[in-house]
Amino acid sequence: MASIDVTDASITFTATQNKQISLKEYLVKGLFRRSVNPQVAIHALTKINLTARDGDRIGIIGHNGAGKTTLLKLLAGVYTPTAGKSVVQGRVCSLFDISVGFENEATGWENIVYRSYLQGETPTSLKGKMDEIAEFSELGDFLNFPVKNYSAGMRMRLAFAIATAIEPEVLLVDEVLAVGDMAFQIKARARMKAMMSVSSLMVVVSHDLNTIKETCNRVLWMRRGTVVQEGQPQEVVAAYNQDSRDRAAAAKAQAEAGSQPAQSAQVAKVA
Amino acid sequence: MWKFRHFLMALVKLDLRQRYRKSVLGIGWSLLNPIAMTIVFTVVFSKVLGGGADPIAYAASVLAGMAVWSFLRDSALTGCSCFATNEAYIRQSPIPYTVYTLRTALGQAIHSLIALGVVVGMVAAYQSDAAVILRVPLLIPGILLLFVAAWAAATIAAFATVFFHDTKHLLEVAAQIVFFMTPIMYPRKLLDDKQMGWIVDANPVYWLLELTRIPLLTGQLPPIEMYLAGTGVTLALVGLAVGIVAWLQKRVIFVL
Repeated sequence: MASIDVTDASITFTATQNKQISLKEYLVKGLFRRSVNPQVAIHALTKINLTARDGDRIGIIGHNGAGKTTLLKLLAGVYTPTAGKSVVQGRVCSLFDISVGFENEATGWENIVYRSYLQGETPTSLKGKMDEIAEFSELGDFLNFPVKNYSAGMRMRLAFAIATAIEPEVLLVDEVLAVGDMAFQIKARARMKAMMSVSSLMVVVSHDLNTIKETCNRVLWMRRGTVVQEGQPQEVVAAYNQDSRDRAAAAKAQAEAGSQPAQSAQVAKVA
Repeated sequence: MWKFRHFLMALVKLDLRQRYRKSVLGIGWSLLNPIAMTIVFTVVFSKVLGGGADPIAYAASVLAGMAVWSFLRDSALTGCSCFATNEAYIRQSPIPYTVYTLRTALGQAIHSLIALGVVVGMVAAYQSDAAVILRVPLLIPGILLLFVAAWAAATIAAFATVFFHDTKHLLEVAAQIVFFMTPIMYPRKLLDDKQMGWIVDANPVYWLLELTRIPLLTGQLPPIEMYLAGTGVTLALVGLAVGIVAWLQKRVIFVL
């Protein structure tokens, strides 16, 4: 039984615009004059509510920087909410940032082992899967070479093969479908479809609105860390499309008027 | 933590192999470095600082001290870069961050154990008594405390570095100072004679060091007070580490 219960979850963190902090900055912080390195509060997510039970297929759409990936990482447990609660039950498989996190000096085979252990496999459960992962990646003898010699496409293939080798209850996907060459993409799509059908719960972030409409039974439209609309895929996607067209038109009008686009209000200065 | 033992051990094994990949001497460097240092110290200082002990006994004492000391120092120093090294895993997976600092501490522990093995061999050869090997079980409590302390130190250093990048440089300076304040190159008697024994008493590293060095060199268990002091030092470090983890664990990822 898998479930997701997110109640009033917010993620707020502070960041400085310039990472280098001088000693002077440290000592006179705000004493005599305004800091040249102001701390900025970033509201990545604000009061998100999301409940999902077995069988739910949830799609998240929105513009870049809307907080889609942050929400996914919250569900994966990589981020903990700074306010509110997020409870996810079930074996989670997260497909994001998968092509990073290889041990570069180690061979492909060794990396299969590390990644799989990280995903919760044990030596016994892994034994049967090694060959299957290797076969799916189609890397053949390259698996005997250190990963640092791999091309970006090869790394993606290997990462995808490993990440999708488990049977997840909760599947979290962040647009990973652009994997490798054409032939591999078709294979990857088929594998994704298969995973989506076996996982009892799925949350997918995508800009591909057709995929979202086909696979999801519920869609969240996010903007600036909040949910704008939630509901049936057809309705939400239509509303989102309309909004995108309106914005494009507005931006065009503005460009013609010669003015600068407004700054994102997502970043609010902290006194 | 137990759930991730396979992941952890696989990475520790990798680190071990990688450290000396493409090196001619391989794991021999783990031995050569402390041995070379010890030879230099023995040749140069055994007359001056040895307090009348013969050179081999002095060398064994220095090597044992160096092994323990460099374990603590290197755990803390490599701990500083621990989260940066493991950043990709941290950004992907919700496993406890202490797994990564444990990776650091375990890697260092293996090297120090090799050096301690050399000391056992040296003492056995010097006293021409193979029974020295029977002293090894006496080392276990001391080494366990030492290991937990090193893990805690690596954890503290790792978290501190994320929020204050200069930690590593400060730590290097501090380590240099503590090294000279700890009776590694000289016996503690040298300071006691000058009424400066309090410097040693106040040094937490000393208490951890003696729990390993005394049984190794003499075959006797250290007095119970020393164990209490060593446990106290370890518990203080663990307490600090637990506090820091509870306080900062959730925030690290936003700052990293």
